[in-house]
Amino acid sequence: MDKDEAHEYISSLLNQSLRVYTTDGRMFRGTFKCTDPDRNIVLGNTHEYRQPSEEERSAAAANASGSSTILDMTSRYLGLIVVPGHHIVKMEAEQFLSQIKTQSA
Amino acid sequence: MADFGVGVPDEIARLSLGQGSAPQDTLPPSIRSEGIAVVDITAKFSDAVKTLEPGAIVKDGFFTLFDSVAALEIMDPKMDSGCSTTEAEVEHLYDVSKSLLPEEVLGIIDQLLCHEMSWHLGYPLSQTLFTSFYVEALSTPDPRSIQEATFIRDGGHDPNEQPMLQVLRAYCLGMLKSCGYVNERIKSEHYYEEEDFVTNTYNRTLLASLPTDAIRDVIIEAIAALKSQRGSISDNLVDALLLRLELRHIFLDAVECPKHMKEPDMAKKPWREGLAILPALKKSHSLASPVDEAFSAKLQRKLASTMPPRPIVQLDFDVAFGHLKSLFEDGLELIDVLHYTDSQCLLTFVSTFQAKKPQPIVYVRTLLQTFLFDAMEVLGSMSIRQLLDDDFAILTMPAHQYLDRLNDEVEAVQDPRYAMAQQMELFRTRAAQPFLDILRTTCQNRCRVRRTLCHLLRDWESLQVDAEEIDQILQVKVKEQPTMHWSSMGSGGVESYSLPLSSWTYLYKLRQMEQIIQLGFELEIYQADELAGMYWYLNYISKSRLHHTERIKSFVIKRVEETHGQPGNPDPLIGTQLQRSLMYTRLSLLDAAVTWELSDSLSCLYTVLNRLKLIKAPPRPYSTDELRYEIRMRPFAPVGLPVLPTFEEFTAGTLQPDTEIDELFEYAERAVEGAKRGFEALSKMTAEESFSVGSHQRWAAATKNGLKSCIATKIAISAVAKAVERSKDLDNLKIKVEIPTPEKAYHESWIVPKIVPLA
Repeated sequence: MDKDEAHEYISSLLNQSLRVYTTDGRMFRGTFKCTDPDRNIVLGNTHEYRQPSEEERSAAAANASGSSTILDMTSRYLGLIVVPGHHIVKMEAEQFLSQIKTQSA
Repeated sequence: MADFGVGVPDEIARLSLGQGSAPQDTLPPSIRSEGIAVVDITAKFSDAVKTLEPGAIVKDGFFTLFDSVAALEIMDPKMDSGCSTTEAEVEHLYDVSKSLLPEEVLGIIDQLLCHEMSWHLGYPLSQTLFTSFYVEALSTPDPRSIQEATFIRDGGHDPNEQPMLQVLRAYCLGMLKSCGYVNERIKSEHYYEEEDFVTNTYNRTLLASLPTDAIRDVIIEAIAALKSQRGSISDNLVDALLLRLELRHIFLDAVECPKHMKEPDMAKKPWREGLAILPALKKSHSLASPVDEAFSAKLQRKLASTMPPRPIVQLDFDVAFGHLKSLFEDGLELIDVLHYTDSQCLLTFVSTFQAKKPQPIVYVRTLLQTFLFDAMEVLGSMSIRQLLDDDFAILTMPAHQYLDRLNDEVEAVQDPRYAMAQQMELFRTRAAQPFLDILRTTCQNRCRVRRTLCHLLRDWESLQVDAEEIDQILQVKVKEQPTMHWSSMGSGGVESYSLPLSSWTYLYKLRQMEQIIQLGFELEIYQADELAGMYWYLNYISKSRLHHTERIKSFVIKRVEETHGQPGNPDPLIGTQLQRSLMYTRLSLLDAAVTWELSDSLSCLYTVLNRLKLIKAPPRPYSTDELRYEIRMRPFAPVGLPVLPTFEEFTAGTLQPDTEIDELFEYAERAVEGAKRGFEALSKMTAEESFSVGSHQRWAAATKNGLKSCIATKIAISAVAKAVERSKDLDNLKIKVEIPTPEKAYHESWIVPKIVPLA
């Protein structure tokens, strides 16, 4: 990827909803505002999502009738955050399915 | 009211979240949605950022540096309350459904009481009440009905299964509800976040949606359930718990007292009842056994906040109880403000109430503001016009034609009464805000009182310009005859007009200037070596007030003479109004005189102490006397009259270089003797004479303290005078000067030095 292309790509993500996963297993979902060469990321209007604990998982599994259960992640509102680059394990962008379809069509 | 630098607190307020109830848009969106695909961009993004130059950033055009400062850094243990190094899950630290012993419930309740008082003292909920697992269980998710407000949700649990938990639940519900009231009350009035109180509820509603009566019922049920336990639990414990539930019940009534604004006795009832049970409550605290596990700072990470997690505030029970007690005492005393006598008594009430040491806590102060100003009505029943007219009548316009309500009825434009009604209405609209701001300002914390008064002074300065203009318009309209006015200096007669409105304004302005200087002493703004100068300036201002009051008095007397000269049966109301004004001028004259004389005496005394080098100036490498003078006088610089003394005049007044030490002693002694006589006369005044109906006790105590300050000054003067007389060497007097802190002085605004002999 050359410089201009990279810059364009990052700029195209600005103000998109991103999901950033951190080393401690939490996920942050917010609007992408800013980044730098160290991949530090600033997200606005962020919510934090946390995986259910072991106990909650086993409790839910015990109650469930089928082989799999769906548990909501616990979440809270944080607002503007900065995630340091070295704590990021995964990043995801949200896209509307409808838009992807029209793009490929 | 005038709030300068409005923008800044606003910006700061935005840094913390959750002001008010939960905004809709912050509800967490579901992360599973049909129409949305999630694409992993980790690798592509990482490659892309690698091409950026060091130091380069890619950012949204609207994203600013200020925003970035406010951002919360994830994974920083000092900022990120969700980041936990240990994997301990908060929810499982403590089981809120486990059964508790009565003494444990008592312990938790008393711990909650401590937290509640810490919150009243200015700590955020996150470090106090919201660290309790029980509070957390009751408030999240926000219960929609009283049945839902239980420690364990939807488990088919009967909340009343265990009587002890039922008691705790009732207590917590009552507590949270009253906290909700307190929070709303404080938010609706003027207060200072960061200085006084944190109203942030971190998106919790404090049970706003539950009706108070439902909570009262829960408390009453719990009381009944508790009483039925008498056989199985020791009586002491049952009584102790009952007291606490009763307190919650009373507290709910107390926070609702503003609705009884028109019936002061009803409003007083809960405060009185609360005071009655407090001693027994304190005594039974020894039975409690605290449960520390029921509180955890880790609960903070469940709150909507960008605040880094902070430790739990630990307030000692005795300290907390002391504050609770003074809350009830002050609350009870406060209701007396509703008994309105006249505007000056009201001012005395508010200022002496706020000058109490320690100052009433912020909730009581905001409650006072509510009583004073709620719904544009003073004390729930008076219009601002009534209050202002009352005040004009006392100070400068007793039974004055300008204030005649019938003027409003006149429709003939050429009639002078039409002009009176018009011009007076104009003046009232201009004066209302500055006048009410005096009351509102007094309700702030002491530092803010001084600061805001400095700003307010400018408003009064411009009001005076308006007043002078209106005075002149009216004196032409009514063809007022000038009087020959003899000044107290006896320098011959001057033709002068009564100028009632500008006189009124000027008197308030002078009083505020004095107050600003006096609060400077109380707040320890001045260094020891500056005291001579500041007392000199106070003396200068109070002298102006004395002369001004004499001028007002001469016109009041003129009105009295005019009325007596009139034939026929005079309206008895006119007589009382004139009498009241005379009484007020007498009080004002005496008050100005004691301020003048005592400040004169102290100024002389400090001049001597400075000259004898008993008070040494601290090293000030970057300051000069002139610069410091400029700083000290900055609040007064915009005031046109009285003229600000030049630095040379100030220095001459402070150093008095041409006066020998003996003479200074003589002046100081004569002045303090005069002040003492003045204070003695003041302390003999009745509540009516001193315009302190409803607050006479506090007013009299302050006057007595003034008298004590005079005596202490006399003692200090004679101690220094004797030491000077005894010793031949003025550099070695064998005495030492101690400047007491304002709390140690007899009166906060009279800092009298203590002379201690050196062994």
